[in-house]
Order: sequence, then C-alpha cells, then structure tokens
Amino acid sequence: MRLLPRELETLWTLFTAPVVWALHFLVCYLTVAIHCAKVDPGASLAAIRFMLAVATVLALATIVLSATLAWRQWGFGTQEPPHEEPTREDRRLFQGFATLLLSALSFVSVLFVALPLAAIERCAS
Amino acid sequence: MTWTISAPDETSRDRAGEEARLRAVWSNPPGWRYWTTVNNTQIGLWYCATAFAFMLFAGVLALLIRVQLATPRNDFLTAEVFNQVFTLHGTVMMFLFAVPIFEAIAIFLLPPMLGARELPFPRLSAFGFWSFLLGGVFVCGSIFFDAAPNAGWFMYPPLATDKAYSGIGADIWLLGLSFIEVASIAAAVELIVGIMKCRAPGMRINMMPLFAWYLLIVAGMILFAFPPLIAGDILFEMERMFDWPFFDAARGGDPLLWQHLFWIFGHPEVYIIFLPAIALMAMIVPTFARRPIVGYSWIVLAAVGTGFLSFGLWVHHMFTTGLPQISLAFFSAASEAVAIPTGVQIFVFIATMLAGRVLFTVPMLFGTGGLAIFIIGGLTGVMVALVPIDWQAHDTYFVVAHLHYVLIGGMLFPIVAGLYYYYPLVNARKLSDRLGKFAFWHMFVGFNVAFFPMHLSGLWGMPRRVFTYEEGTGLDVLNLTSTIGAFVFAAGVLIVVADVVRPKHRQPKEEFNPWNAGTLEWISEPEENWGVRSIPIIASRYPLWDQPELRAKINAGDFYLPDAREGYRETLVTSVLDAEPIQCLRVGGTSMLTILSAVALGGVFVATTFHWWVVAGVCGMVFIVAVWWWLWTGTGAIPEHVDKNVGLGLRLPLYVSGPASVGWWAMFITMVGDGTAFGSLIFGYFFYWTIHDDFTAGLPGPGWVWPSISLLLFLAAWVALIAARRANRAGSTGVTRLLLGLVLILDLSAAASALVGPTTTGMDRVVHVYPAIVWILLGWLVLHALVGALMIFYCAARSFRGLMNREHDGDLVNVVLYWHFLTITALTTLTVVGFFPALR
Amino acid sequence: MILTLPLIISCQGEQSTLNTAGSEAEDIAHLIVVTAAAGAIVWVCVVGLMLFAAARRGEPMAEQSAGLVIAWGGVVLPASLLFILLAYVLFSMPATRPWFEKSRADVEIEITGEQYWWRVRYLDERGNVLFENANEIRLPAGRKVRLLLRAHDVIHSFWLPSLAGKMDMIPGRTNILWLEPERVGIYRGPCTEFCGTSHTRMSMQALVLEPQAFASWVEEVSSARKSPADARAHGQEAFLQHGCGACHAIDGTAARGRLGPNLTRLFERDRIGAGASANDPSGRMAFVRNAGAIKPGALMPAFPEINESDLRAISDYLGAAR
Repeated sequence: MRLLPRELETLWTLFTAPVVWALHFLVCYLTVAIHCAKVDPGASLAAIRFMLAVATVLALATIVLSATLAWRQWGFGTQEPPHEEPTREDRRLFQGFATLLLSALSFVSVLFVALPLAAIERCAS
Repeated sequence: MTWTISAPDETSRDRAGEEARLRAVWSNPPGWRYWTTVNNTQIGLWYCATAFAFMLFAGVLALLIRVQLATPRNDFLTAEVFNQVFTLHGTVMMFLFAVPIFEAIAIFLLPPMLGARELPFPRLSAFGFWSFLLGGVFVCGSIFFDAAPNAGWFMYPPLATDKAYSGIGADIWLLGLSFIEVASIAAAVELIVGIMKCRAPGMRINMMPLFAWYLLIVAGMILFAFPPLIAGDILFEMERMFDWPFFDAARGGDPLLWQHLFWIFGHPEVYIIFLPAIALMAMIVPTFARRPIVGYSWIVLAAVGTGFLSFGLWVHHMFTTGLPQISLAFFSAASEAVAIPTGVQIFVFIATMLAGRVLFTVPMLFGTGGLAIFIIGGLTGVMVALVPIDWQAHDTYFVVAHLHYVLIGGMLFPIVAGLYYYYPLVNARKLSDRLGKFAFWHMFVGFNVAFFPMHLSGLWGMPRRVFTYEEGTGLDVLNLTSTIGAFVFAAGVLIVVADVVRPKHRQPKEEFNPWNAGTLEWISEPEENWGVRSIPIIASRYPLWDQPELRAKINAGDFYLPDAREGYRETLVTSVLDAEPIQCLRVGGTSMLTILSAVALGGVFVATTFHWWVVAGVCGMVFIVAVWWWLWTGTGAIPEHVDKNVGLGLRLPLYVSGPASVGWWAMFITMVGDGTAFGSLIFGYFFYWTIHDDFTAGLPGPGWVWPSISLLLFLAAWVALIAARRANRAGSTGVTRLLLGLVLILDLSAAASALVGPTTTGMDRVVHVYPAIVWILLGWLVLHALVGALMIFYCAARSFRGLMNREHDGDLVNVVLYWHFLTITALTTLTVVGFFPALR
Repeated sequence: MILTLPLIISCQGEQSTLNTAGSEAEDIAHLIVVTAAAGAIVWVCVVGLMLFAAARRGEPMAEQSAGLVIAWGGVVLPASLLFILLAYVLFSMPATRPWFEKSRADVEIEITGEQYWWRVRYLDERGNVLFENANEIRLPAGRKVRLLLRAHDVIHSFWLPSLAGKMDMIPGRTNILWLEPERVGIYRGPCTEFCGTSHTRMSMQALVLEPQAFASWVEEVSSARKSPADARAHGQEAFLQHGCGACHAIDGTAARGRLGPNLTRLFERDRIGAGASANDPSGRMAFVRNAGAIKPGALMPAFPEINESDLRAISDYLGAAR
C-alpha cells in the first residue's frame, strides 16, 4: 500500500485546500445559523462549539494532506521558483508550489474562521 | 513537447496570397454593416468606450450629489431627484462600468495575449456587448423620465417592493440589470473557455500571462456570484409583478433573504472588479521594472485565495441586522483573512520593483498612486470588518469613504494606468505624457481632498444617502471640502478624456512595442484584424524578451495557421495544462443574428417592465428563433475534411465532440452558473424553514405522490436520452430518433405532472410565502424541462437533416450534459418539495 | 493622519461616535482610534517602501531576497497582526455589546420605525405599554436599558452614535439592543437605513437624565395621562375640529389617532417632525400648513384651508405644557 495517493495530472488539485476552507466555513456558519434560529438566544453553544472544533481539526488535517501532496509535487522543496521553463516538469513544480501556498493560506484562514468558536459562547452573546 | 514540429514548408509559400486571404476572412463588412462585425478588437473597443461613457454619466450624477451637499440645507435638488441620482450613480458605476469594463478589456486583450486569433465564441461576445448597450441605455435613460430607481443601489425590500414609493424605477433596475447580468455570464463562459482552451501551443499554465490567470479566476467568480442575484431578481420581480410575498413579513416572507442573496453577489463583486484591475498592474509593473515579475506563483495564490475567501464575506454588509454575534464573527474572521492575499499582491509589485530598475512612466504613476489610495481603503476595510467598528461606521460616510478608496484606488486608477499603457495597441500612438501627469495630479489630489474628509463626516455621525444636513454640526466644512475635491478630481478625468479623443493623426506612429514589454499582446498590429499573423509556439512567460525573432517569424507566417485557404475564421484549441494543440476551431464570423438576438431579448425585458405581455411574448419568440438560427447555422457544422494541416507538419481534427470541444465546456460552465442560481432558490426554501416555527403555516403542500411520479418520469427521460446517445454512436439512426421522441414525451409529461401536485391541493401563491417558494422551484424546473424539450427537438431536427450523425454527435453530447444538470435539478426540487415538509 | 487625531477626538458633536456617553460607544471609539493609528503607521511603511522601490537606483535586489520581502511583508507580518487584532476584538465583543437576561432591564422601551418617524413606547415589567411618545427617548444614566426595535413599514436603523452602535429595525423581526448610558446630556441619532424620500428628515433625540430625574419624569407622564385634559384648553377645539385627532393622539382627549406620532408631550421636544424643524411657533405652523414641504413624502396632508388664527391656536395648544 502506498502512503500517498498517485499523483494526479489535473488543474483541479490547485483548489483542494480553498474548497476545504469553503466547506468548513459553510458548515460553521450554517450549523450556527440554524441552531441559533431554533433555540433561545441566551442558550449555551457548548455542544455546537465542540462539534465545530472537531470539524475544524478535520479541515486542518485535510489541508495538511493537500499540502503534503503539493510538497511532493514540488519536489520536496528541492527546487526554487520561478518555475518558468517551458517543460512539463516545471509546470508540475509550479502547480506544486502554488498548491502549497494555497494550502498555507487556507490553513491560516481556517484558523481565522475557528477563532469565533473559542471567543463567543452564546448566540446573542 | 509531445506534438512534432517540422520546418515550415517553403516550396509552395505565397506569403502575399496568404495575407490577402487572411485579411479577407477577418475583415469587417463595409458600410452600415460594419456594426454587425463580431471581431474581438472592434467589440472590445466598443465595449470599453460604452462602459467609459456610462462612467462619465455616473460621474456627472456624482457631481450633482456633491453640489447638493456642498452647503447645509441646500435645495439644489429635491429629495425625490436626489434619491434617484444617488441610486443611479451607484447602480451605473457598479453594473455598467466596473464589471463590464473588465469584460471589455479582456475581450480586446486576451486573444493577442494568449496568441489566439479570437476567443472561441466571438458571436457570444458581440451578443453580450449589444445586450449591455441596450440594457445600459434603458437603465440610464430612466432618469430623464423621472422614472429612475430610487431605493439605493442595493434595493432593499420592502422599500423597493413598495410600488407606491418606487414606481416603475425598481422594475427598470431589476429587469434592465438582469439583462446585463446575462451578458456578464456570457462573458464569463467566453473567458473561461478562451483561457483554458485557446492558448497558443506551448503556453503551459505556468507560463500564462498573469492577466489571464486573474481573468480565469474572476470569470469563475462571476459564475458563482451573479446567479444568486439573478435568483433574487426573480423572487423580487415575482413579488412586484404578481404579489408573491417573498419579502413581505406579514405573509411569512423576510426582507433579509434579499440581503443575503444580494450580498452573496455583492461582495464577491467587489473583488470581481478589483482583481482585473490588479491584473493590469501585474502586466504593467514588470514592463517598467524591466524584469519578469517576482513571485508569479504568489500572484496565483493571491488570485485564487481572494476568489474563494471573497465568498465568505457577504454578511459583513449585514452586521447591524441583528444576526447572532457568533454568525457575525465568522464573517468578520473571513473578512480579515482576505486582507492577506490582498497584501501579497501589493508586496509582489514592491518586490518586483525592488528587483528591477524602475522607469517611472505615466502608467506607473497611475498604478502606484492608485495603490497608495487603495491601501488606505484596505486598512479602513480591516477596520470596518471588525464587527463593533462596523456597528458605528455602517451606512455612514465612513463607509462611503472606504468604498471609494477601494474602488477608485483599486480599480479606476489602474484602469487609467492600463489605458495609458495599452493605448498604442489601439491607435499605434501613445497618449500624451504631459497631459497624463497633469491628469494624474488632479485626480490624485482631488480624490483625496474629496474623500478623506468623509471618514470624519462619517465618524461625526453623517449617514449616507441623506440629501442634506444641519449647519453647525461640524459637517459643513467637511462637505464643502469634499465638493471642491470632487470637482478637481472630475477635472482630472476630463483631461484623460481630452487626451484620448484629441486628434492624433499628426502625431507620428510609434514603433512596434513602444514600452518594450515582454508579453505577447504587443505582437498585435492595430491595422490588422486577424489578431496574429500566425499562431506562435510559446516557450517563455515573456516571449518578446526571451524568444528572439519571434515577431519576425510570426509575421512571416512561419507558425501555425498562416493561411485561410478554405475561407473560414480559424484558431487553435489546445489542452488545459500543457497547451498541446488538439483541434483547429472554426469560429463564427460576421452576423446580424447577434444584434437581432440581443434586441429581441432586450424587448422581452423592456416589455415586461411595462407589462406589455403580448410584445414580450412576440420578442420571446423572435429570440428563440434567432438563437435557433444562430446555433443551426453557426455551430456544429460538419467540416469538408476530417482534419487539416495547420502548418509545421501538424494535422489537427476540424470536428471534436464531448469534453475535448469548446462547446461542451461552454455548456458545462453555463450549467454550473445555472445550478448556482437554482441552489440559491433552494437556499431560499430552507431559509424560510429556519426563520419560522412552521414554515408551511399550516397550508397544504404539493403532497408526495405527484412529485414522485414526476421524478420517475424525469429519470426515465434521462435514461432514454443516454440510450439515444449510445444508439447514435452505434450508428442506429432510426433507434436514436425513436428514443429522442420518447425523451420528448417523457420530459413533457414529467413537467406537466410536476405542476399537478400544487394545483390539485390549491396552493395559493399570494397568501403565504410557502406556496410561493414551492411554485417558484417547480416553475424553475418546468422552465428547464421546456428548454430541454427544445434541445431534444433541435437534435432530432439535426439528425433528420443529416447534420448530426455517428461521427458528428457534439450537439447530442452537449444536450446529454444539459440533461445531467436537469436531472439533478429535478431530483433536488421534487424530493425537497415532496418529502421535506413531512420529514421535519 | 496622526496629526489630525486630536482634532477628531476634540469634536464634541451631539451625533458623533467619538463623543461617547455610553459603554458600548466608548469601547468602540477606543478601537477606532487605535486601529486608525495603527493603520496610519502601516500605510506610511508600505507606501514608503513602494516609493523607495520605485525611486531606488543602483544594483537591483536579488530575486531570492525580493521573494523574502513578499513572504515576510506580504504574508507573515500581516497574517500575525490580523490574527492578534481579530482575536482581541472577538474576545472582547460579547462585553462590548453584552447580552443579559430580560429581567436585568431597569427600563424597557419599544421603538418602532415608521416612515419617517419613531414610535416610542415605555413598557412595564410585564411588557404592557405605560405610555407612548414619539421621536424622543429619555434614559436614566448608569442603568441598563433594553430596547425592542421593530419596524412598521420598511427597514430603518436605530443609531445613537454617542451611546452605542446601530441596530436595524426590520419588518417582521424584533431586534434587541441594550444601552448603558453613562453621561447625562442630549444626544442625537439619525435613521441610518435608507427608508424613503424623507429618510434624511428622520432623526431622534435622546436625553440621558439622572436616574432620579428620569423616575420623576416617568411618574409625571404616567399620572398626567390618567387625568382628563382640560377640554377648554386653548386650541384643542381647533385641533379636533380640523381632524388632527384622526391620525394623532393627545392623551386624555378625544384625539386618539394611531397613524401619526403621539403629540401629548410635543411641548417638551426640541424639534418637531422627527428632527425636521425647530419646535417654535413658526416651525409648528409651517409644518401643520404643509408638512410635505418640510418632509417630502410624509403621509401628513397639507391644510391650506385652516385659517391663520386657528393655525396659531393649534400651534399654541401643541406647544403649551399639559
């Protein structure tokens, strides 16, 4: 069994990490919005916050996986940008590097979006 | 490279003949028929000029606002007129200038930049332009009849749904802009397919000009941002026209649903406006730093990252609506996060300048000046994205200042920079350096004098959208200063206009590539309509710097498609990642159909505004006929040969179907947008569920029986259609036609049975929002089923006329793709309306 | 920008977010000043660097080092600063605009946005209406005030910049806002969601009183309401005869209209017509004669037929204490 899945030749892997960010964001927002619409504004959010914390960990793990794959596609950091040669190899390195950067941005953004879970305890606080 | 290249065949070359044939094929028609051209150069320029004209119009409206507010208790404009003026100012700037101008620039610039002759659907570009022009004139013209929209550019119901207040203006806004939104989505389809599939051979994705990267992301954003607004427009117009209570709280509706749908569109829109302008900067800065951009991948990161994050910001326009604080906090967090990719772009430019030797020209002046302004807007953006600050700043002049710093610094200044930079591609002459600097300082100083004080007037408590204010509140001096600044700024804009329109025939023509830029668009010759003389092989991000003799070889016709022997407009289709040539694509030429379709569709929208139902119906029929004719004569033609020698020993097919073809991609992309609009309606259904204890209000639903029957029929139609495609591919023409007939019957009965449920249970659309939202979902489904029926009919007709056969099944494959989406729509709609009420 | 800070703060307008008199407004004003100052510093640094990069002559920087400029200046620094700022604000937000149990309220007021004025009702502990007023609220300093914000027709937004941030009034919804006024004074608040032709002419006044003064005012209004008004009061006859009572109420009289603002306490208001003009005889007379000229789009019709002496009588009647 291979540890990492086979490398994919497609443009779409670039968007994995931001898509995970978007899903995490939507799950957080929708869960809270529906919950708060259906309960008393003063009710505690503890259970919901715990659930979403788990979702956050899952999202971060998926992004790390995407970053690992990108790291491999980028030649494990052995190559420096700008990756501008007209070769398939450089195109793949570019994809790897850009995916890695996007994974980093998505990772940080998921952390940003998770902050409210730590800070706010009630729907109507 | 995986495709082989041999030396150009020199024995039989007749270069003069080649050029004559190319010129003839790509020429514009003479006389009045000139206006029927679809060539990207002309359409792009008309588009730019029209958008600029709308900008000047909206600028005059802005000056009227400033005159009114120059002194306290001024009565220069009445309240009624003032409200129309500011509504139209915002509407026109956003919908008729900021978004279209980038579509315009892209249509003009992208083909030469990508080394393509044309974008894949030139007639679609032309159709988009004409739609934009008609819709824009309709919306702008309303103010001369005292009938302009007057509820603010985001049209919040219930004010905007109140017919006594908003008159016909709100209908003009909704229908006029829906028409333009259709054009925007058409442009998005065109740009995505163009950038993914029509790049010159060798232009791999790591070598694409950054402008193309940005535009790809922006077009993708349009695809997800505009449909929610279209869905909102539909709900809105149904309420205004037929009293379906989507936003009427008394009957279960909620004004907040509009705010959600509007801002799901509205916030990404800000980035849809901003990113292309930054894309221009990403072309200008390397040229004047005289080196390749530093951090190409970082720009891609920033563009993609912004594209995604911008969809998580919409509620920051709704921080004061009383939503739970934790919901607000998520959007605040995403709004702060989006500052990161934005900052990256600015630092990429700084790094490129640091690593280069900067020539400080007029485009650079506008570019850096714009950034200096934009950064202030970005920083105040970080402030208002903090929920508590927004509670104070929301809907005050602080926000007015913020948004103008963002839009004028982040969009208008870079656009003017782009105008000075790219003007030689239009006219082979540069604009004046002296006038440019003069204009810049007027605009820069005027802008800051006008808008900086607004931060203060906002904090001192001046709400936006007021037609006057009291003396002695400290606001008098600030407002007078703003007005003075606005006029200085306007003078700067006028200087730019004067520089563009002044006669230049006595000015000598510039030589080729006057700024010594490195990117491919500078190969384009203003006098020629063919885009590039021959389609080159690209081996660098800056081919004009790195590929010696590229220009000479292109102009000698030494690359692909140097000739137009068969008399067709041809360009190359290449693969997405590595740009390997896969097809020689014949694109549509000059045609009246684009104008006819746009006029007919415009007629539908205008007639609907005035409730002229018969006219609307007639225009709708004309539109359907025109589009049918357009597709029938302009697409999917069976070529005279299977393949063609495109030069350098390469033979490419002339006909492909399925995912390799541009038509399939266009259908896919269109349906993604369509699916987003549908998703927004479904969002509406569940939105009503969340806000009510019993969202059905005890009213009867459609039941589960008829929705289930309808769903089964839809599924059967889908299976039959897939069978028809297989039969066609197997060569069984008779079976194919039979199956198509079966699909038609199944589809129409499915549509009919979808409507039986709510009809028999007597769901009354005007009494409550629950029946209304069920009807709208089913109406959407039935409309798509009817369009599907037209498509089946089209395929059958093509088959009978011998235009669709075993090898040439592109039409059928595309219709199957449409049907996949239709089936998902049916599955979702019918399960939701049929089963959800019982499940709760 | 830094130099202008003292100027900004020193402005003491009745409607300024920086002239604070309530706990929420105070928190936010601090946040505004701190972030604006930090923003100014960031702007100077970034634009300075940009100008330096553009003007610099001599050996260009190596691509590697320029890449580091992007990584540090564009990513690491802003991301960490933003994260800290966001965390600070999110953790302090529940305290800035706090949520309390309903029972913690010292005063409860229901305010309804109407085109283009504010209906104000003081409620008792059980939510019953004590009395109704319009376009002016009186609040006790140092107490917790619970506002129920509603809208009758279109969306309005309630905003008293000196006391707290704004909160929208949306048809079909009730938004709750807690105010904790701290400083006695007079504060103004405009409607901040565009609500129609005379949106501009829709503002209110808040008087923050000492708790003692507030209590006696409530007492006075409640008791005055129970005793019938002097039927022969000068001008009352004209007021009723011209049909004013169809839309306006004056407690204790036959005028019981609910469409327009309650005019019982008009005499103690500073302005009339929700801030449209001064509360003096000429202002009142002009408003009654043709309200639409002062508040375009207002529902109140013009009364060209009222003769001059009746007009003056009505004005005097409304302006006299009851």
